[in-house]
Amino acid sequence: MSSAMTALSSSNSAADSNRRGWRRELRRVLRRPQFWFAVIVLVPTLLWYFVFQLWPMVRSFHTAVVAYKILEPWNSPFVGLDNFRQLAENQFFLPAVLNTLKWAVLNFALMLPICLAVSVTLSKIRRGRNFYQALIYLPVVMSLVAITLLFRMLLDPDVGQFNRFLNAIGLPGSTWLRDESSAMLTMAGIAVWKSMGIYVVILTAGLLNIPSELYDAARVDGANGWTEFQYITLPLLGHTLTLVTTMLVIGGLQEFTLPSLLTGGGPGISTLMANMLIYSEAFENLRFGTATAMAILQLILILFVTRVLMRLITPKWSY
Amino acid sequence: MSTTTVQAFAAKRVRPRAFQIITQGTMHLVLLLLCATALIPFIWSLLASFKYFKELNTSTDFFPKVWTLRNYEEIITRAGFLDALRNSTIVAVVVTICVLLTSSALGYIFAKYQFPGKDKLFTVLLSTLMLPFAVVLVPLYITIVSFGLHNQLTGIIVTAVWSTFGIFMMRQFMESIPSELIDAARIDGASEFRIYGQIIVPLSAAPLAALAVFTFLGQWDSYLWPLVVINSPDKQTLPLLLAGLRSLYWSRYDLWTAGSMLTILPVMTLYLFASKYFIQGVAMTGIRG
Repeated sequence: MSSAMTALSSSNSAADSNRRGWRRELRRVLRRPQFWFAVIVLVPTLLWYFVFQLWPMVRSFHTAVVAYKILEPWNSPFVGLDNFRQLAENQFFLPAVLNTLKWAVLNFALMLPICLAVSVTLSKIRRGRNFYQALIYLPVVMSLVAITLLFRMLLDPDVGQFNRFLNAIGLPGSTWLRDESSAMLTMAGIAVWKSMGIYVVILTAGLLNIPSELYDAARVDGANGWTEFQYITLPLLGHTLTLVTTMLVIGGLQEFTLPSLLTGGGPGISTLMANMLIYSEAFENLRFGTATAMAILQLILILFVTRVLMRLITPKWSY
Repeated sequence: MSTTTVQAFAAKRVRPRAFQIITQGTMHLVLLLLCATALIPFIWSLLASFKYFKELNTSTDFFPKVWTLRNYEEIITRAGFLDALRNSTIVAVVVTICVLLTSSALGYIFAKYQFPGKDKLFTVLLSTLMLPFAVVLVPLYITIVSFGLHNQLTGIIVTAVWSTFGIFMMRQFMESIPSELIDAARIDGASEFRIYGQIIVPLSAAPLAALAVFTFLGQWDSYLWPLVVINSPDKQTLPLLLAGLRSLYWSRYDLWTAGSMLTILPVMTLYLFASKYFIQGVAMTGIRG
């Protein structure tokens, strides 16, 4: 009898131990305190990301292809690409897109050389670096909304301090924000003033990471300032430059607060930008469909630009 | 041949102290000029906030001829500044505390725990950083409305409680905490919560401080999302109040300067004492190869 039992149990033991092993494994995992800590932390996290990031993202694709009824959203009829067509026919669409692209390029082209020059200077001085960095970074911590008000006041062509100062030293004043030709450039100047600190700090940190032996070796080989910049500094800054470029371009494409408060779209529509159009379509005209369509176009643009940037400026070497 | 190269090298190295002094001096001069440019608009506006409206528009002097606190009085009593200040502070403080908690906990898990799918999950979370806010803006607002949180401070707070950037930054740092420390604590019988609270968090004080500063500043200055969520004046945050000054008090530059100063000064005072933390956080994002 016992031999039969043992025979039975041993013949099933292979399959049994697998199944039993699975359950035993699970029980062992459940008993580990780390499991519960992870669960307590991850479950609310995943819930939050689902409700506040994933679901809205999915909803936006839905909203973009229906004629959205605000009062009964579930009854919104599918209209395909009609919202996109309406958007394309919107007279503000093309100017907004062009302005946004122009702004991203302008912001980048103005900010990077200036910040790089400042950072190189900072990396070469012997003392006082922290002092200068702290002061240059100061505009960054000033509230952007407050800054826009202040500069609107300072740049007032009639009573603003800038023009009065220029007149006092004999130069003609400028129309600053009141004229189509100068508005965007002025805005770019303000943006550089405000955010220069961030990029200077990042670039200086990157520059200080370059080992000085490389420079000494180059000196021995007869390099002067410009060649050492070209062949040592720039390549070794590759990653940092990629980061800064991405931040500038992607951030520039999504600009809202500065143009909205400084010029409200500019004289005419010379500073109207994509995010401003999205906001006005959604919350002033209550056309959620076209607003979401524009947002999705912006998403595609950003993904495309990111891809291009990655391809173009990924440094060939890594250090 | 070797003597000439050595001579040439020595000549370059020993080249005049004067030359070095001039180059260093010029660089310092340029930097000082730059710092002056960074400061002057602010200082002018600060002094302007103490001027009477008429003097503001007519005189070009730096210092006010007649000092007055009337602008500040008016902005506090007539424009609802105290309410906005209270609202902004509540939002900024609550969000900062929550972000510190969630980011450090999740940073710890992603840095020190192993579980199947961990890396994939992290990549998915990180990809939310790439999402432009505009895509999520409209549906997020609809979601907030469906929870009944529109025109409430909670509506602003609840959308900012988790920060992918914070998680990334914390994980980055916590990877450098030696695992032996944690293992030793476990062997000694510490619970996970104790390990988190008494080991991980104190060790992460520096990046936590930087993250706190970054988050606080971001919330204090946030404009677009509060603009969408809030529509009544008593729930306004400071940026909304300031923006409203443009239409309500059109070209009342005296009020503008007073309001702007009141918004800028709290953060700036914090900055003057803790500039290290502000800058450290930014530098850390750049150093990561």
